[in-house]
Amino acid sequence: MTIDKSNKYDRQLRLWASTGQSNLELSHICLINGTTTGSEILKNLILPGIGNFTIIDDKEITTNDLAGNFFLTNDNIGQLRASALCESLMELNEDSKGHAITDSLDEIDDSVWDRFNVVVVSDYIDPEFLDTLKTKLFKKEIPLFIVNTVGFYGTINLIINEITVIETHTSQLFDLRIDQPWQELSELSDSYQLDSLDDSDHAHVPYVIILMQALRSWSDSHNGPPTTMTEKRQFKKFVQDQSRNFTFETNFNEAVSSVFRAYQKTQVPSMVKSLMNNDKISDKNLNNETPFFWILIRALKSFVELYGNLPLPGTLPDMASDTNNYITLQNLYRDKAAKDKELFIEEVKRVLTIIGRLDGLTALEIELINIFCKNSHSIHVTSGSSQMTSKSLLEQMLSNKSNDYDNEEYNHLAIYFGIMTFNHFIKQNNHVPEESDYDNFIKLFSEVFECHPDLPLSALKTFKEIVCHSSSHYHNISSLMGGIASQEVLKIATSQYVPLDNLYVFDGIRSQSDKYKI
Amino acid sequence: MELLGKIGPYNEVADEYDAAASVEALSESKVLVIGAGGLGCEILKNLSLTGFKKIHVIDMDTIDISNLNRQFLFRLKDVGKSKAEVAAKFVESRTQGVEIVPQFCKIQDKPLDYYKQFVCIICGLDSVEARRWINATLVTLAGEDIIIPLIDGGTEGFKGQSRVIFPSINSCYECTLDLVTPKITYPVCTIATTPRLPEHCIEWANEIEWPRIHSTKFDADNPDHVEWMYQTSLARAESFNITGVTKSLTLGVVKNIIPAIASTNAIIAASCCNEAFKLITNCNPMLDDYMMYSGDESIFTYTYKNIKKSDCPVCGNDLKVVKAEKWWNLKEFIEEIKHQKDIQMTNPSLSTKFQKLYFSSPESLRLATEKNLQMKLSDLVGDEEVIVTDPKLPISLRVRIVFN
Repeated sequence: MTIDKSNKYDRQLRLWASTGQSNLELSHICLINGTTTGSEILKNLILPGIGNFTIIDDKEITTNDLAGNFFLTNDNIGQLRASALCESLMELNEDSKGHAITDSLDEIDDSVWDRFNVVVVSDYIDPEFLDTLKTKLFKKEIPLFIVNTVGFYGTINLIINEITVIETHTSQLFDLRIDQPWQELSELSDSYQLDSLDDSDHAHVPYVIILMQALRSWSDSHNGPPTTMTEKRQFKKFVQDQSRNFTFETNFNEAVSSVFRAYQKTQVPSMVKSLMNNDKISDKNLNNETPFFWILIRALKSFVELYGNLPLPGTLPDMASDTNNYITLQNLYRDKAAKDKELFIEEVKRVLTIIGRLDGLTALEIELINIFCKNSHSIHVTSGSSQMTSKSLLEQMLSNKSNDYDNEEYNHLAIYFGIMTFNHFIKQNNHVPEESDYDNFIKLFSEVFECHPDLPLSALKTFKEIVCHSSSHYHNISSLMGGIASQEVLKIATSQYVPLDNLYVFDGIRSQSDKYKI
Repeated sequence: MELLGKIGPYNEVADEYDAAASVEALSESKVLVIGAGGLGCEILKNLSLTGFKKIHVIDMDTIDISNLNRQFLFRLKDVGKSKAEVAAKFVESRTQGVEIVPQFCKIQDKPLDYYKQFVCIICGLDSVEARRWINATLVTLAGEDIIIPLIDGGTEGFKGQSRVIFPSINSCYECTLDLVTPKITYPVCTIATTPRLPEHCIEWANEIEWPRIHSTKFDADNPDHVEWMYQTSLARAESFNITGVTKSLTLGVVKNIIPAIASTNAIIAASCCNEAFKLITNCNPMLDDYMMYSGDESIFTYTYKNIKKSDCPVCGNDLKVVKAEKWWNLKEFIEEIKHQKDIQMTNPSLSTKFQKLYFSSPESLRLATEKNLQMKLSDLVGDEEVIVTDPKLPISLRVRIVFN
């Protein structure tokens, strides 16, 4: 990265670092429909420097398009939406390259989709075509976002087979191994004779050492570490009593407030355990098509079987100590982490040999292993769905009896079903519903979702709101939903942070939102 | 406007609602946008695309290259120019019939009368101090029966919040000051004698070495200054075998940089403008009164109402009770005041109706009251009211001290 780029992108590099940035720069996003919301999504991705974007749209610009779109002006009327928008948006950042496809959706060749890392559909496309596209992309494992805005409402679906995130940035935990010190750590702890230290040195012993020593002497006299609430309380007091002056010894204060780190057992989190039992990495399913992420999980499984724990991340939190004590301790953690990583790489190579890949690891894969070892305790994996609705989701909406719209439990799903009905209404009538279409709108809902039109009051009110305020050009909601959708695209593109799973509904009247899993 | 013609089922004033009046209100209402940065650019765009015609924007800053990853009204050629002026011109060129008046100055430079002309103020700031100032100013105006709603947005990384303040009616910014994450500070003895983190070394260079060696103030926008800070921090770190001092971290620490991206700004700005739109048009109910957004892990929002504090130094009437140890001297009490999350003053001055306890400025008064710092607090004050002020804030906090 040039100096210029690190300066220009400074505020975001602090969130996803250069690894996230290069992933973003290699990404290509496709937007179907050059709507206001779509333009806002692209704006928020072009500014941070997404590599490529493509707009698919065969429509011409009308005055209606200008109403809420900052990137089109009067001069654009009559031009093709895809080309005009592409040109206007490219001006935002010379690092992003834009492309326009002005064919109609059904003319687009199947292979075109393979160019994209992410596809976004904004507002209306023919529901039947959406179904086909969904199936197609799901099979190709290309994530699809469906973003809708109507009046004060907005929804986002994320259609994707599987999400795997290594750098989730979620873990606040430190893996310190106080209960299971490795040999060097044990030796370092033993080298401290707390009683013989002068007062100043005594106040500068890192709490990791204090807790390790306390845990050992407690375990010796109590047949093991504290387990019951009473024992834990006694252990805490035991630690505090070793301080010479608890008001002034910050290190002992920290030891007491971090005392749980001593009696908490170091173990593999259940989420990671379940990943290691995933069928994808069983002997019969593992093959040379297995994605690298799952190869790492398989290697992790062997690592844990061999060494009992996950690779040590090697980060030590700051703690009261003099410089020397702290740096010595920090180096010990770092060295162990480096050794664990080497051992882990051996396991990865073993798995690669099993599946017949003998070309060795690439620099990029080594970099990924680096990140993997630091984050293996907080990996995130979920499976998605290719569906936009389900029986139980519909049931949940129909049975919501909350009538108090200030209440958090108010019927957000009515917005979602209302917006899906809205798109079916356009398909059926070639125009957006208006207030006078209210009865037909309800009828259409019950036809599409094959249910009795006996709706709860909250749904009736929300449907009424949708037909009264049926514009998709209200800029605030377009901008807000565009912001949220682009945030989720960024997570997918950088391969960092946990994205939506998998339906989000925003209510701009109540300024509340909710999410659901289909 | 398509959204205003029909009365929706959630409209709370359906009987009085008048679509034509709402449309007119949008084009006639004068609104002020404070800040033309990440949020400000979005806010100006949103307002002008939703029917607002009379907008003022105020910002004291000029454009920096690190703004370009999100402040989409600025280009490389604009670096160094006034944010307010460039932003106003750009939005005017893209929209029709919208007038945006830029003010290239500090909000504190404008007289009270300036603020009276607005129907609503929308804030997109990164400074707590500026927010406290405008909040207190609007509560003062509320005392003259001029209620100007304040819609405030803020972001940090993937997170943000928007809120609506009706000065003196619901909770104000100062009521919830404890929600603000205080700046990370390190104990002086750690920085001076036992550094462990790269940050400690940078703070040493910044707080101890710079003032010792240089007579000028450190300027984070001066590349020579930054280079010196980085090299000095690095040398310090190396002498203690500490790793991890980088130029990026150095800048992060000395400038107190908060991560920022376009998408979060878009979300929060749009939420603020949605509330402004509902406020002016009455077409739907408003946020009451706080929405927090978090995109760190999936998407999460939480909407709730803050509590108006009766002992809020800005909008409350009650004395604030501050607990003190019997053995404290005045200096220790002042440290307590500085660090309490719901007070957060940097240079407080204290007085009672009987005497000036301590004045941080002007210099003559500081010298005259300095001797009190070492005196025992309980010898100086009984249960009378103590007035605490700070030169940077238009606030006088009324405190009663209770000894433990």
